[in-house]
Amino acid sequence: MARSFSRHKWYEPWLYLAPVLIGLCVFTAGPVLASLFLSFTHWDVTSAPVFIGTANYSLLFASQLFWQVIGNTGYYVLLYVPCSIIVSLGLALLLNEKLRGIAFFRTVYFLPVVTSMVAAALIFGWLYNSDVGLLNFLLGKLGITGPRWLEDPHWTMPSLVILSVWKNAGYNMMIFLAGLSTVPLELHEAARLDGASPARRFFGITLPLISPVLFFVLIVTTISAFQVFEQTYVLMHGGGPGNSTLTLSFYIWQTAFQFFNMGSASAMAYILFLILGLLTLVQFWVRKRWVFTQ
Amino acid sequence: MRTEQRLSLPILLRYAGMIIIALLLVAPFLWMISTSLKSPESVLRMPPEFLPRPPHFSNYKTVMESMSIGLYFYNSVKITVLGTIGELIAATCAAYAFARMQFPGKKIVYTVLLATMLIPFQVTMVPVFIVIRALGWMDSQASLIIPHFFGGAFATAAFGIFLLRQFFESIPRELEDVYQIDGGGSFRFLWKIVIPLSKPALSVLGLFIFMGIWNDLLSPVLFLSSDSKMPLPFGLATLQAASHVSRYDLLMAGTLISVVPVIVLYLVVQRWVTDAFLRSGIKG
Repeated sequence: MARSFSRHKWYEPWLYLAPVLIGLCVFTAGPVLASLFLSFTHWDVTSAPVFIGTANYSLLFASQLFWQVIGNTGYYVLLYVPCSIIVSLGLALLLNEKLRGIAFFRTVYFLPVVTSMVAAALIFGWLYNSDVGLLNFLLGKLGITGPRWLEDPHWTMPSLVILSVWKNAGYNMMIFLAGLSTVPLELHEAARLDGASPARRFFGITLPLISPVLFFVLIVTTISAFQVFEQTYVLMHGGGPGNSTLTLSFYIWQTAFQFFNMGSASAMAYILFLILGLLTLVQFWVRKRWVFTQ
Repeated sequence: MRTEQRLSLPILLRYAGMIIIALLLVAPFLWMISTSLKSPESVLRMPPEFLPRPPHFSNYKTVMESMSIGLYFYNSVKITVLGTIGELIAATCAAYAFARMQFPGKKIVYTVLLATMLIPFQVTMVPVFIVIRALGWMDSQASLIIPHFFGGAFATAAFGIFLLRQFFESIPRELEDVYQIDGGGSFRFLWKIVIPLSKPALSVLGLFIFMGIWNDLLSPVLFLSSDSKMPLPFGLATLQAASHVSRYDLLMAGTLISVVPVIVLYLVVQRWVTDAFLRSGIKG
């Protein structure tokens, strides 16, 4: 690698890095340690924190609501991650062709990504309206009685997933398109000449070759899915019917800033951190036997 | 580059698929526009009117004035423009040091910085709230602007530093040698050569940062309480929660106003977006 600006003074790089490093200490590294400490305390913001050992954790594990929240979050992740990946990979495959106007379609498919989740949630809240909403009107035209999307506890979570998929699919689509552009066309041509069907070519050539990208998307999408917050904030104003959409993120926020139980909120944040860390490790372990490397 | 394919049945089918999906993806936006132009009676009518007649353009005026969307809009512009400038400066400087300088601990610092992307915001949320309170920025827009000059309170500048570093490293060494012989320092090289050459990357990153701040709900929810200081997403969410009698026409007009600036900005820089995704080197 080129050794650049070898004549710069020793402190110069640190001057350039100073703002970001200060931010790193004040807004990330410090807080990560502070919330670990807080998770072992009882603290209501007004008085000084009191050290209470692992009581926050044991109280949480004994709480039925906490387990429901974990279950809701898991349900959302399990529903959202596969749907989102399949849809965005599908979109990418559809647009992975050098055709006239393809740039226009890429732009259009990316539009929901630049929209705010708040705006998207407001629009979908209106679409989902069970009495005068467009969605149930159109379903009615097809002879289907639409569900009460945001009131029926069985439908609240799928409603959130549909909204999130619509909003985010374009982002992963772009990453998949970047991955697909590295798949050599010659391989496909050769397989086509050998009489391989499109499905066989997809599973035999495309999928193995883009598996590193798929792996990256899987990790990032899973991590972001665990942090679902704005959708529930806007559409559900909290837990939704029967707490059916009370997810970990929202419950942590509520515990901290509505119930002012900072200790318990920090403990939950660390449980989430631990879950994400373990999942990432598992995914890296799976990667070794699953991802195709040349 | 392959030659343009002639129209054949598979290609026509592909076009049909692309158009149908485009319509599905755009439908919510069209419905928002249609609703935003309706009269209060027409909104609740079944079957719905798709093209409101006559269109109520006055809805936009109403929300701008009497529902304080105008004020939220001004707040959003102020916070987002200042925040984006701050974060671009911070990310550019850091990426420059990583791309063009050698110093002890470089690898560790870079790894730690990138690793922060994996930290969920819930973990830092409470302590960051305390920091902002200690700095006296509660219920002040400073809480939403100044952290960006240090890389941001939640979404750190790590992704931007990663993206810019790739760009900065691709600038040929020879340019730098010539520059050093002429007696230019590292800052002048950054200002005169690196930044002008990296306009595409900076534009795309600027768009992503702008989007992130413009669309952010979490930070204002945590730090702001006065209605008059709210940016659009928080303002809209609050309006929706407060209005028990649903005026979807006005809500959609407000939503539309909040969405237009980012879409326009995206359309301006979109030709560089695909390239940035390709360049970011996400290959596992």
